[in-house]
Amino acid sequence: MHYRFFPLLSILAVAGLAVGSYGMVDRLWNGLNPVAFGSYVPWGLWVAFYLFFLGLSAGAFLVTILTYLLGIKPFLGIGPLSAFMVLVCLFCEMLFILLDLGTMHRAFYQFFLTPSFSSLLTWMFVLFNLMGLIYTLKTYFLVRGDIIRKAQGTRGPLGAIYRLLSFGRREYDAAMDAADERRVHQLAWISLPVGMLFYATNGAFFAILINRPIWNSALTPLLFVAAALLSGGALVAFLTYMYIDNAAGLRDTLMRYLGRSILFLLCLFLVLEAMQFFVGYQTGRTDIVTSLNHITLGRGWWIFWVVHLGLGSLIPLVLLVFGGGSPRATAWACFLIFATFVAVRYNFVIPDLAVYKLEGLEYVFRHPRLSTEYVPNLNEWLVSLWIISAGLLAFLLGTRYLPIVHPHPRGVDHAA
Amino acid sequence: MSRFLAVEDQLVRMQRDLKRALAADPKSVRWGMVIDLAKCIGCHACTVACVAENKLPPGVVYRPVLEEEAGTYPAVRRRFVPRPCLQCQNPPCTKVCPVTATYKNEAGVVVVNYNRCIGCRYCLVACPYSARTSDFGDWYTRETPEGLGVLQGRQTAAEGYETEASAEYGKKWPPRGKGSPIGNARKCHFCLHRVAVGMLPACVTTCIGRATIFGNRNDPESLVFEQIGSARAFQLKAELGTQPAVYYLA
Repeated sequence: MHYRFFPLLSILAVAGLAVGSYGMVDRLWNGLNPVAFGSYVPWGLWVAFYLFFLGLSAGAFLVTILTYLLGIKPFLGIGPLSAFMVLVCLFCEMLFILLDLGTMHRAFYQFFLTPSFSSLLTWMFVLFNLMGLIYTLKTYFLVRGDIIRKAQGTRGPLGAIYRLLSFGRREYDAAMDAADERRVHQLAWISLPVGMLFYATNGAFFAILINRPIWNSALTPLLFVAAALLSGGALVAFLTYMYIDNAAGLRDTLMRYLGRSILFLLCLFLVLEAMQFFVGYQTGRTDIVTSLNHITLGRGWWIFWVVHLGLGSLIPLVLLVFGGGSPRATAWACFLIFATFVAVRYNFVIPDLAVYKLEGLEYVFRHPRLSTEYVPNLNEWLVSLWIISAGLLAFLLGTRYLPIVHPHPRGVDHAA
Repeated sequence: MSRFLAVEDQLVRMQRDLKRALAADPKSVRWGMVIDLAKCIGCHACTVACVAENKLPPGVVYRPVLEEEAGTYPAVRRRFVPRPCLQCQNPPCTKVCPVTATYKNEAGVVVVNYNRCIGCRYCLVACPYSARTSDFGDWYTRETPEGLGVLQGRQTAAEGYETEASAEYGKKWPPRGKGSPIGNARKCHFCLHRVAVGMLPACVTTCIGRATIFGNRNDPESLVFEQIGSARAFQLKAELGTQPAVYYLA
C-alpha cells in the first residue's frame, strides 16, 4: 500500500479546495452568471467533467461486476476499492451536474413533485440514485466486518467513527460474514441491470436529439460504453498498481490481465472514433463537417491531436504494446489514458453545440451568451478544481482510514 | 375616394379574428402565426418590441430576425427571416424536460412554468431552431458606474427599468434579481398575456410591413387560416417532423 503519497496528495487536495473556493463562492452567490457558456453552447466544461467521471465510475463498476457476480478471483483484491471508487465518482458527477443547473435548489424536490418519464434526464436521476444506494450498501457490507473489528481496538475520533459505522455491534462472527457475502452478491445482481441502464441512458441522452447530427447516431451509446470502460478501466489499473501489494505476485498478475484488457479497449475505442469521423466527413453535410473540423482544425485542435491522440492514445499504445508487459509501463499507459480522457469528453460535448443550427443566426443580436465561441473561463476551472479536489480528498481519506484496500476477502463463494 | 383607402389594414382584421377567438370555446382555439418573407424589410422592430414587452435581459431573445445573403457581388440578394418560437405541435423540447416545466398548452402554445424549471438547459439543446435562450442573470446596467444623482448611476438606472418584472404568462413575477426567471429557460410564448386581454402579440402590432399574421388557425374565417393555405406557405425544417404552428410565406 502506497501511503507515502498520502500526505502530498492530501495537501494538494486541500490546496485545491482552498483555491477553488473562490470560484465556488462566486458560483453559489451569483448563480450561473459567472460562467462562459451561453444559450447556443448551453453546456460546457462541467458537463464534460460529468461525463469524465461517469466513465471512471463505469470502469470501476465493471470490476465490481467481474468480482462479485462473475467471481473472477484476481480482482478480489481491488473489489472494495472499485466499489468505493464508484461512490466517489458518483459524488463528483452529482456535484458537477448540480452546479450546472440554473436553479439548483429545485432539483432537490421538483424531480419528486412533477417528474416527466418521457425525459431521459428523469431516468438518469432515478438510476443515479439507485446506483448511489446500491454502491453505498455494497461498500458498507464489504468492509463492515473490518470496521466492527477496528471499532474495538481504535481510540480517539477515528474509533468513534468506526463505532458509529458499526451501529452498536461489537462482534462479527462467521454467520454475519456469510450473510454479508450473500448481500454483496445480491447487490451485485441488482447493480448489473441498473448500471447497464444507467450508462446506456447517458449515451442515449445525447443520441436521441434529432437536431444534433454528431450525437444523433446509434454509434453514440456504443462509443459511450467503450469510452467509459476504457477510461474507468485505465483508472482501476492505475490504482491497482498504486494500492495493491505485490505479495505472491498478485499485483503483477492483475496488471498483466488489466493491461491486455485496456489495450483491447483502447483499440476498440479508436476504431469506433475513426468510424465516426470517416462517416461524418463522407456525408459532406455542412453541419457535420463543420463540427468535425471544429475538433480537428479549430482553435482547440491541440486538444484532439496532442492531448487525446498523442498523450492519451499513441504513447499508451506504445507502452502497452512494446512495454513487455511491465506493470510500471502499464500503469503509466493507464495514467495517461484516464488523465487525458477529459479531452475526449470535451470534444464530444462542445463541437456539436458550437455550430449555428440556423443560417444567419450568427449575424443578429450579438451578445456573448448568443455565440458559439466557447472557452471555459476561470470560474468554471475553479469550480472544477474544487469538485475534483473534494473527490480526491474523499478518496484519499476513504482508502486511508476505511478498510477498503485490504479487507477480509469475500464474494467468490457465492459468485457465479 | 382612393381605391387604396378601401383596403382594410390587416391589423384590424386580426383584431377582429382575435375577438372572435376569445369568444369561442377555448378548446377549439389553436394559435398560429404566418410570416410573409416578401414583406419583411429587416427593420427588427419586432425584436425590439418583444424585448420591451417581455423585459428581456441581455443575452435573452425571443424573436431575432435572421439575415440571409445569397449570391456574390454584384448579383447579391438579401432576405430576412424573423424567428419566433415555432410552437411545434410535436415539440422536441417538451419531451426532454425532466420536471414537466415546459409543455404545450391547450391552445397549442409551448409554455414554460418558471416556478418548475430547474435550468438544466436540455430543452435549449433539443430545440432545432435555437428558439430558446437561458436567463443567466445578466444586466444591461452592469457596467454603469454608481452615481449620486437622480438621472445617473447603476442603481437608479436599474430600478427605473431593469428591475421591473415582466408580465409573462399573465403572472406577477418578482422584481428582476429576486429569483425566476433568472436561471430558467425562456422563449417566445406568442405574448399570451396580451392575447388573453384581447391584444395582438407585440411583434405583430409593431411590424411595419405587416409581415406577421396571428390568429386562430382553426378558424376558417381568420386571416391566419387563409394564409396557411397559401401555395407559398412552408414550415422551417419540416423534414424533422416537428410540425411548427408558425408558417412562412416564400
